[in-house]
Parts: sequence; C-alpha cells; structure tokens
Amino acid sequence: MIPLQHFLLIGAVLFSLGLFAVITRKNAIQILMGIELMINASILNMVAFGKYDKIDNTGQIFGLFIIILAAASVAVALVIIMNLYKRTQTIDPNQTKSLRG
Amino acid sequence: MDSVFTNYQILCFALTAITAPFLAFVFSLIFKKLAGAFGIVSITVSLVFSAILFFSIWQKQTFHFSFSWIKLGNVSVNIGILLNDLSVIMLLLVSFVALLVHIYSVEYIRKEALRYRYFAYLSLFCFAMLCVVIADNLFILYAFWELVGFASYLLIGFWFTKKKAVQANKKAFIMNRVGDVGFLIGLMILLSQFHTLDIETIFGAKGIIHSSFIHNGNWVSPFASIPDYWLTIAGFCFLLGACAKSAQFPLHSWLPDAMQGPTAVSSLIHAATMVAAGVFLLLRVSPLFNDVVLTTMASIGLLTAFMAATIALTQNDIKKVLAFSTISQLGFMVLAVGVKDNAAAIFHLSTHAFFKCLLFLAAGMVIHQLHHVKDDTKTKFDEQDMRNMGGLARFMPITTVVFIIAALSLSGLPFTSGYLSKDAILISVFEWASERGGVYWLFPVVISITSWLTTFYIFRVIFKTFFGDFKLPALINKKEKELHLHDPNLWMKIPTIILAVFCFGFFFALNPFSLEGSWLHHAFNLEPHAGGLLHLFVPIYINALSLVLIASAYFIYAKNKIVFTNHKSWYYQFSYHQWYFNVLYDKKLVGLILWKAKITFWFDKHIIDGIVHLSAKAILVLAEIVDWVDTHIVDAFVNGLANIVSSWSVWFKSVQNGKLQHYFIWMLFIFLSFIIYKVII
Amino acid sequence: MPGMRAGKTVRKRLKFRKEKDVVEQIIFYILTAIAIGSAAYVVLSQQLIRSVFMFFVTLFAVAGLYVFALADFVALTQIVIYVGGVLVLLLFAFLLSSKDALDTISEIPSGLLSANRLPAVLISLAFFGLLTYTFFNIDFQNLNWITSAQASGNVKSVTDDTIRNIGVNLMSRYLLPLEMISILLMMALIGATQIARKEPKAL
Repeated sequence: MIPLQHFLLIGAVLFSLGLFAVITRKNAIQILMGIELMINASILNMVAFGKYDKIDNTGQIFGLFIIILAAASVAVALVIIMNLYKRTQTIDPNQTKSLRG
Repeated sequence: MDSVFTNYQILCFALTAITAPFLAFVFSLIFKKLAGAFGIVSITVSLVFSAILFFSIWQKQTFHFSFSWIKLGNVSVNIGILLNDLSVIMLLLVSFVALLVHIYSVEYIRKEALRYRYFAYLSLFCFAMLCVVIADNLFILYAFWELVGFASYLLIGFWFTKKKAVQANKKAFIMNRVGDVGFLIGLMILLSQFHTLDIETIFGAKGIIHSSFIHNGNWVSPFASIPDYWLTIAGFCFLLGACAKSAQFPLHSWLPDAMQGPTAVSSLIHAATMVAAGVFLLLRVSPLFNDVVLTTMASIGLLTAFMAATIALTQNDIKKVLAFSTISQLGFMVLAVGVKDNAAAIFHLSTHAFFKCLLFLAAGMVIHQLHHVKDDTKTKFDEQDMRNMGGLARFMPITTVVFIIAALSLSGLPFTSGYLSKDAILISVFEWASERGGVYWLFPVVISITSWLTTFYIFRVIFKTFFGDFKLPALINKKEKELHLHDPNLWMKIPTIILAVFCFGFFFALNPFSLEGSWLHHAFNLEPHAGGLLHLFVPIYINALSLVLIASAYFIYAKNKIVFTNHKSWYYQFSYHQWYFNVLYDKKLVGLILWKAKITFWFDKHIIDGIVHLSAKAILVLAEIVDWVDTHIVDAFVNGLANIVSSWSVWFKSVQNGKLQHYFIWMLFIFLSFIIYKVII
Repeated sequence: MPGMRAGKTVRKRLKFRKEKDVVEQIIFYILTAIAIGSAAYVVLSQQLIRSVFMFFVTLFAVAGLYVFALADFVALTQIVIYVGGVLVLLLFAFLLSSKDALDTISEIPSGLLSANRLPAVLISLAFFGLLTYTFFNIDFQNLNWITSAQASGNVKSVTDDTIRNIGVNLMSRYLLPLEMISILLMMALIGATQIARKEPKAL
C-alpha cells in the first residue's frame, strides 16, 4: 500500500507547480493549465483521503464533481480567452487593464 | 428780533453768499468757456447777499449758527457761521472788491489760453476768504485760512511757465506755512485751555476769555489752569500766523515776490482778501493778547510800516512800490491793533481795500497797455519799470485821474477816506504813547515819518509814471504816435472809476474831517478818543508836510530839477535792496538750512545708512545661515521624508499596477503569511 | 497444526503481497515521476503547444495515481472528461487562435530564478514547504477519523467494487449536489456558447 503521505506530497508538488504557472505565465491558456494542475492536485488529495470512506465514497464523488466543474470552467474560460483575444489581440492577462482603477 | 429776516433766512443768505463762488469754481473747471461769466455772476450773487446780510446785521444783532461736527472726548468741534459787525463788513468788502476785480480781469486776462483756470482759482480764492470771514470757529477759520493760502499759491503761480512766478508762489506758500504753524500751536493752546474753539464762546462779549484771569502765575480759565506764560505764547503764535499772512516783518518778503502773479490778482490779494485775513485774525482774537504781545505787535507793525515805506522809496518796478506800500499799510493796521484801537484797524482795512485795489488796478492798466505796445511793436522792454514810463497822463487821462485819487487817499489828504482812517491810527498811537511816555514816544514819531514817506513814494510813482518826459519812445526807437497808447476799454475803466468814487471820505463820514462822524469807525470804537487837541493837530501837521513832500516829489521826479540822492549811497542801496532781507534769507538762512541739510545728509548717508546697511548685511548673513539650515536640514528632512514617501508610494503603486498576477502574488503572500503564522507560531 | 499452516499461508501471502507491493511502489513512483516531470515541463515550457501536449501526459499520470488511491472510477472520469474534453477544448482553442498571438508568448524571459519570477518561486516554495511541514507534523496513524474508519472496516481494499457503490451513492446520498452540478454544467455550457458565438452586427 502506498502511504497517504506520498499522495499528499505529490499533490503538494503538483499544486505548487500549478501555483507557479498561475503566477508566472503570461499566457492565459497556460494559466488555465496551471489552474487545472492545481485542481488535479486537490482531486488527488480527495481520492487519497477517500480511501478511508468506503461506504459513503465522499472523497471520490466530490473528486468527480470537481472534475466536472473544472471541465465546465475550462469551457467558459476558454471562451472568455477567445473573446479577449478578439478584442485586445492578446491573451496576456496583464495587458488587459481596461478595468484598472 | 428787530431784523426783517428770520434766522433761517439769514442762514440761507450766508450760505448762498459763500457757496456761489465755490459753485463758480467747480463749474468754471467744467464749462471752460463760460468761466468768466460764472465768476462774475457768482460774485455778484455773493455781493447781493452780503449787502442784504450787512443791512440786517450791522449794528443790530449777532447771528450765530453752529452744529456739532466732530466730538473728540469731551471736546466738541463745531462748524457754523458767525455774523457780527466785523463779519458783515468784511463780507461786503471782500465781495465788492472781488466783483470789481472779476470785471477788471475779463479784459486783463482776455488773451490768456488758460483763463478758465484763472477764474476758477479766483472763485476759489473768494470762496475761501468769505468762509474765513464768516467762520464761527477757529478750527474752521484755520481750515479756510489754509485754503486761502493754497488759492493764493495757485494764483501767484498762474503763469506757471515763468520760473520767477513758480519761485514766488513757492516762497509765498512756504512762508505762509511758517505762520500757519504758529496759528496751529495757538489753536492747540486755546483748545486745551478753553476746551472749545468757538470764537463767540471764547472772545464774545460774555466770552470765557473775560472770565479767565492770571492768579499766582497761573492762567486760570473755567476749564483749566496753566502757567501764565502760555497766554503770552498763545498770543505770539497767533501773531506769527497773522504776520505770515499779512506780510509783516520778518515774514514779509513773500509779498513783493507775489507780484509775479497777474496784476488783478495782486490787487485782490493786497486789497481785501489774503493779507486782510491776517489782520482779520488779529481782530478776531484780539481779547487774547496781553500787554507783552500787544507791545510786540505794535513794534512789529511800526517796524514793518517804516521799513516797507523806505524800501518803496527806491523801487523802480511800479508793482513793487505798491507791494511795499501794502506791507507798510498793513504795518499801520497791525500797529493799530497793537495799540488796542481795533476800530481804527478795521477802518483802515476797509479804506485801504478800496484805494489799494484801485492803485493796483490802475497800475495794471498801465502795464496792460504797455504790454500791448510791446506786442504791437515787437520790442522788448520791462513794462513794469517806471524808468520806461513818464508823461503817460497825456495818453491815459482816466487812468491818471483814478491813480491820483487813490494816491491822495493813501497819503491821507483831506476829503479822502485815507485821511479818516490813517489819522485815526495816528491819533491812537499818539494817545497810546502819551499814556506810557518815555521811549514809547518813538512810536508816533516814526509812524509820522512813515506817513510822510508814504506820501513821497506814492507821488514819486505818479510823477515818474504819468508826468515828465515819456522815455519809452527813445528807448525803443519809435515815435510816440506809433505806440497807440490810450486808456483801456470799459471792462477795466468802470471798476476803477467805481473804486475811485469810494476813495472819497463821504462814504465813510458825512463830515469828511470828522473821524467820530464815521459810521464805520463809530461802530467799533467802544471808547471814544478823549483828546480833542490831537484830532486837530495831527491831521494838520501830517498833511502840511505831505503837501510839501508832494511838491518836492514833483520837482525831483517830474521836472528832474533837484537831484535828490546818489544812487550809490549806502542808504539808497540799502533801501533798493529791500533792506537785504532777501539776501539774508536766501544766502544766510537758506544757506544755513542747506548746510544743515548737508550735515544731516552726511549723517544720514554715512551713519544711519551705514547702520542700516550693516544691519542689512548682518541680516543677509543670517539669512544665508538660515537658508543653509533650511536647505540642508529642514528641506533635507522634508525632502527626505518626501522621497521616502514617494519611493514607498512608487513601490506601493507597483502593487496596484492592474496586473492580475501581481494581485494574485500579493493575495498569496498575505494568505501564506497568515497561515504560516497560525501553523508555526 | 492448523495454526502453523495458517501461519504459513499467511506468511506466503505476505511474501506475495510484499513482491506485489514492490512492483506497485515502483509503478507508483514512476507515475509520480512522470506526473511531476511533465507538470514541471507544462509550467516551465516556453512553447504553448508543447506544454499542452505535456499536460496530456500529466493528466494521464495523475489518472494513474488515482488508481493507486483506489479510485479507478475517478481515474476513468479523469481520462474521459479531462483528456477527452478539456484537452480537446484547449487544442481547439489553440488551433482557432491565430499563430502570432501565441508566438508573442515565447518572448517572455525564461529562467526559474530570474528577478521577475523570484516572488513566484518563493511563494510556490513556501506553499510547498507549508504543506509538507503540515504533513510531516501529523501522525496519520493516530488520526481520529482514520483509526475509527479502520476500526469499523470502512477502509477500501484493492478488491472492492467501488463503481456500484458510487452509483448508488450518487443517486441517493448525493442526488441533490449531482442535480445542481448538472444544472450548473448546462448553464456553463450555454453561457460558453453564448459568449463564443459571433455578435450580431446590429444589436
């Protein structure tokens, strides 16, 4: 059996990498991928903890929910990115400052 | 109330009489072409109302109207009108003489471009003088006194392009200032002593001056008690003021210089307005003078009269002679006040106003006509110099006649007004001297000599001007017929003829030999003269010698038969140079003042300025230090703070840069900090 | 002795399990390496297309890790939805956008420790450190919910059939969240199409 800590460590690594991508990338698609990475890390944690919930399966079911919601968010986000590109000819989130105070 | 007019009407009349010239002054400056008409109409109005006032006030009542103008503590300065005998006679005199001068001026000033100014100033002058006459209050009197001085300044300097005229009006103004200082100080003393400046309250019949007395070396009045020398000082102060205005020694030298003004102005100044104001002031405040002041006043009057008469003997300028004559006659008046014969002073003031005005106007006619000759022939000569004249009687008969009438009056020969008034003064002086005896006998002796000198110098003028040979044609190489010399037109003739009529004694006394019969003298003479002998003796010996002198003058100046004196003799030069007063004033006094000014200037420049500059330098150094401190410490601190803030703000601003990921970084940073704090600590 | 026999079989089975465990662990760590390596590539790559395809690998590897967490259904869902849905969507987006927009991305200065990435690196490391610190400070064997689950036999074993259980649970215990999520999903998709469609020229 793989110890729980290992899953959590892998999740931490993936999460940190996703975080790094979100912070550093100048490309909305890559940022989106960073977010997906972070979501994946959290799903990993969910299912790892779900091992100790055989009857209710809460961890797994919420993992599923997260996957579905992530898919929906990706769909919306991509559409937004496409529109953004159509309007500003860029997908760098830092270049879109029209809402800046 | 035995007057036909109510108080209100009298007030209205008085105000109209004084306001009319002022309105003329204003309108003359606005409607320049009608200036002469305004002047004549206004002064006629003044004359009419003055006459009405005269007949309703004279010897009947005293009209006094005043209201509180300024209140300073417990001292209230009133403004108002006081009409008593003195006021109304002066009012009438001033407006009458001024009217004649106005009419005369129309012709005299016809060719001047700025004649509207002349009439405006003349109106202002009359306004000021009328106000001086009817002021009920010494403060108001002082104010218009100053205005008289200012208006005379304007008129003397009417030909302001002439350098001499400018200097003359400056001199007149400055010398009058000296007197005004005295007047002002006197005013202050009276104010502190009596707490009022109202003439009627102080000097009236029931005035507080009569209830004040000298007690234990103190001058006690109902309000205050001050050392008694203040009384003397106050008297001297007013005397100084009057001396400046009436051109008495030692402040007389402005008057001859004032001849630079138009002759009509000279006539007005000399006859009734400006110089009369000084005597008027003395008459107004006469109860104030104590014995010391009166004696001094008499001495000054005597000295001035004598000095001016001697100077007049040798002057060649016809107007200068008349000017010194005026000074001399004013000396008579001051002497009369000094010997406490106010009636004689007023009487002489009135008669003198007529004949002196006439003398000036007649002289003006001569000058005016000669000026025309000068313009016509395009030659250059001094039209006022008697050495260029002579024999003018042939060309200007009316001028000659009126001049001679005026001269007779001035000389005090019988049937003239001067006979009455001058003899009144002489008799008073004799009586005064006989009361005191001793050295005071000098006064009647000197004044008698002065009287004879007066006769001599005025007939010298007549014979040099109107008789003898006409010297001008030879001087400018023309024949007499080419000069077209004749009497001036009616504008100038009529006023002189009217004045000539008033020079006769009938207007002042029905019996031209009886001084007591004179209504004018009688009105003011509270104590009739006792000595009947003097009344007989004085006129006779004066006039007898006068006739001899007239005859001698005729032979000296008209016929040139007797060489009277050497022009190089010291007494001739002394007289010709006007006793060297101008030299004294110009060289010594002015020099002294300039020398003092130089010292003060040096002191100012090197010591006071030095101190100022030193302190300025010290302050500059201090300023440098402060500046350094300011720049390097205070500013550095402030700027450093500002820099810190601005660099912080730049840094903080970079947080708010609108970049999504930076916000995210900060969010995570805060979140992490919080979590790490909670987990680890 | 039956006890002895039983002990023998147990030991035998233990040995088998031990071998199986070793294989299992090897595969797990390989998957772990693939997942982390590919994720790092996704994060650090300058070229979008490569990072997208490498993300493909990452998702597969993570799906494999789900299997090791005894969540095979989730792993399958991951592959179906993520790989089949999300990634295809990403590729579509990538393909639909013009090339030069993506080229500009490569101009960004690279390097993990360059100045403008330092805060990112620090924060990521801090997150990672925080998480690991937490994991190593927890005694997982004595956690309440783990011990109680072990005591009540509520622990999954490798042979358990989880899919049926999940289906039953979805339709009973988690019916409401499921419905809500389905509605949300529908709304998201409708919204996405609404945003994505071309705007009418005259509104």
